[in-house]
Amino acid sequence: MDPMSVPVADYVGLSAVIFFIGVAGVIVRRNPLIMLMSIELMFNAANLLFIAFSRAWLHNAGHIFAFLIITVAAAEAAIGLAIVVTVFRTARHVDVDDVALMKG
Amino acid sequence: MGNEGTYPYLLLLWLLPLAGAIVNWAFGPQLKRAAGPLGSAFVGVSFIATVLMWGAATQGVPGGAIGAHQSLFSWIPGFDFGLLMDPLSLLWTLIITGVGFLIHVYSIGYMDGDKAFARFFAYLNFFVFAMLTLVLSDNFVGLLVGWGLVGLASYFLIGFWFFKPSAVAAARKAFVINVAGDVGIMFAIFMIFASVHSIAYGDAFAFTSYPSGWLFAICLCLFIGAAAKSAQIPLHTWLPDAMEGPTPVSALIHAATMVTAGVYLVARCAPLWSHDANAQLLVGTIGALTALVGAILGCGQWDIKRILAYSTMSQIGYMIMGVGVGAYEGGVAHFFTHAFFKAQLFLGSGIIIHALNNEQDVRRMGGLRAKLPFAFWAMLTGVVAISGIPFLGAGFFSKDLIIQGALEHGHPIMYAVGIVTAGITAYYMCRMLFITFLGNYRGNVDPSELGIRHPELAGTPAHEEDDAHESHGRAPAWLMNVPVAILMVPTVLIGWLMFGGENSPWAHFFAQTFPHETMAAPAPVSEMFTAVIVFVCVIIGIAVAWMRYGAAPAAENAVERLRVESVRMPAVLTNAFYFDAALDWIFVRASQLLGTLFGRFLDPQVIDGAVRETVFSAQWLGTLVRSFQTGLMRTYAFLIAIGATIFMIYYALAAGGVK
Repeated sequence: MDPMSVPVADYVGLSAVIFFIGVAGVIVRRNPLIMLMSIELMFNAANLLFIAFSRAWLHNAGHIFAFLIITVAAAEAAIGLAIVVTVFRTARHVDVDDVALMKG
Repeated sequence: MGNEGTYPYLLLLWLLPLAGAIVNWAFGPQLKRAAGPLGSAFVGVSFIATVLMWGAATQGVPGGAIGAHQSLFSWIPGFDFGLLMDPLSLLWTLIITGVGFLIHVYSIGYMDGDKAFARFFAYLNFFVFAMLTLVLSDNFVGLLVGWGLVGLASYFLIGFWFFKPSAVAAARKAFVINVAGDVGIMFAIFMIFASVHSIAYGDAFAFTSYPSGWLFAICLCLFIGAAAKSAQIPLHTWLPDAMEGPTPVSALIHAATMVTAGVYLVARCAPLWSHDANAQLLVGTIGALTALVGAILGCGQWDIKRILAYSTMSQIGYMIMGVGVGAYEGGVAHFFTHAFFKAQLFLGSGIIIHALNNEQDVRRMGGLRAKLPFAFWAMLTGVVAISGIPFLGAGFFSKDLIIQGALEHGHPIMYAVGIVTAGITAYYMCRMLFITFLGNYRGNVDPSELGIRHPELAGTPAHEEDDAHESHGRAPAWLMNVPVAILMVPTVLIGWLMFGGENSPWAHFFAQTFPHETMAAPAPVSEMFTAVIVFVCVIIGIAVAWMRYGAAPAAENAVERLRVESVRMPAVLTNAFYFDAALDWIFVRASQLLGTLFGRFLDPQVIDGAVRETVFSAQWLGTLVRSFQTGLMRTYAFLIAIGATIFMIYYALAAGGVK
């Protein structure tokens, strides 16, 4: 089946839904692992848009951006997990609301 | 002004007293008792050099330059410094070095035994140098330098006995008031330089196009300086207090020379005054007022030196009135005669004070004629001279010149004030003479019986300076008597120089010095008439004084009479017309109020307040912003999401708008 038989507006709609699921996850959940997963969701929503528009307009820049974002997401996950591990070592549990050292 | 040239004697007479001051200052401890003769010698040689300068100082062609001018150095364009000796400054220099020398010699006897003997002569020499700088300068800045230095010397010498708090207070008062006058002269110099672009006397006097009103302002500022230095109302209050200094100082600085610097200034700037009738009127009025007020206050004093101080103030009032109204020869003549007879009066009173172990209250004297015959004759000739008894004393001639001059220049009120003051002068001087020398000695009477409520406040108490001022010095008595005896000659005779109107030696001496104004109308009364009226007033004054203090019945119960007079003395007189209180209210209290305003309000509230408010607002802003920093990651995420949403909505709408 030709992927372009699905209209591009559907991809945008799906992407928006995934993105807001990600946003809601970050805001609502207190477990940093879940929050990292939600951030991955937002990255992938963006990736989906890039790929969809790249295919629709037959333009390769979108593919390149998708790879770039996957790289950034990998780095972000590494740093994020490192922070989570560090916090766990000192606090023996992980809850982002307890990590409030920056409170003014 | 002046014939340019090199005059070694001029430099010599100017710098010798400075050399004396330096030597006495530097080697005082080594010189010990030699400091006195040495300091006197420097001034004596300076006097000889002054006499040798006589010819050069009076040389000149009619209408041209007169006197000797010696350039010293130039600083920047317009600032040329030099020495000028014309008849006017010659006259002052003669008094400063001549009378100054006699007072130096007298001081050897008077100050003998004082711990700071050399310091005294160092100060006295320094004063002579400063005063010579003042009168010999050929420009206003040099004048101001001398003006400030004599004020400094006066400060040193009033506070010479610095262990007396009253002397220190008096010295400070004199210095502060004199500095107020210095500032006046400084502003006059600013205005002169701004218009003339030169500080030289000659340029300033030759300049004719002063901006409108500036001439009066310059004269006014100069006169503020003159009034402060010459103890004119309302800046006179320091002079009676200045009597805290040793008596030779009172004679030299606060009677003969320094306090007449104001007369010199007005006489020197005669070309300026002659062009401004308002300035003349102002100076003449202040002078007449000072003469009258000083004479009235002299009637209410008990301290012999304070009587003489108020009489000095009154006599300088005469001089200022004379030079103010344009009778320059008269004003300067009175300076000349006054320098002799007032120095003599002070030195005579010094002999009394010395003999009575520093007693200065006339109530505790009395009957001294037998004890101190020489002092009696010295004081008597002085009193005759200052009272203006015709032909017997110098004061008669010069005072009449001023009184008649006031009328000739069209000031009948000042004329009347001058005549009345002459009568009062005769009264209070004879009062002093009779209380001091007639009757019986009252030194052993209990002070309270004489109405002396606070013996410690009535003049200098006896025995106070026994530590530092050993009254029974080893110096022979002639050291103090000879200078007074020499002074008696000019006191009696010098006035004849002024006798003869236009043809007198005095008039010839000053023929080319002062501007001659054409009289609008001849004076309505002759000189002879004036002399007679003055004489009548003087006789009345002497008669009243004789009735009250001299006649046999008054002298017999002198103790009771003096007690009654002391107790009933009007408060106006004991408080000296409340001038001190008025100055205190107007200047001291006002300054304190201003200080309080700054200290209590402006500084803590406005300046500190601004700093404090800056801190507070930063803190408040910090508190406000801090409340956003919850530290909760999910809050930040939420805010980021909202922000991103707002951006998205905005751009979506904006993109729609573009289409």
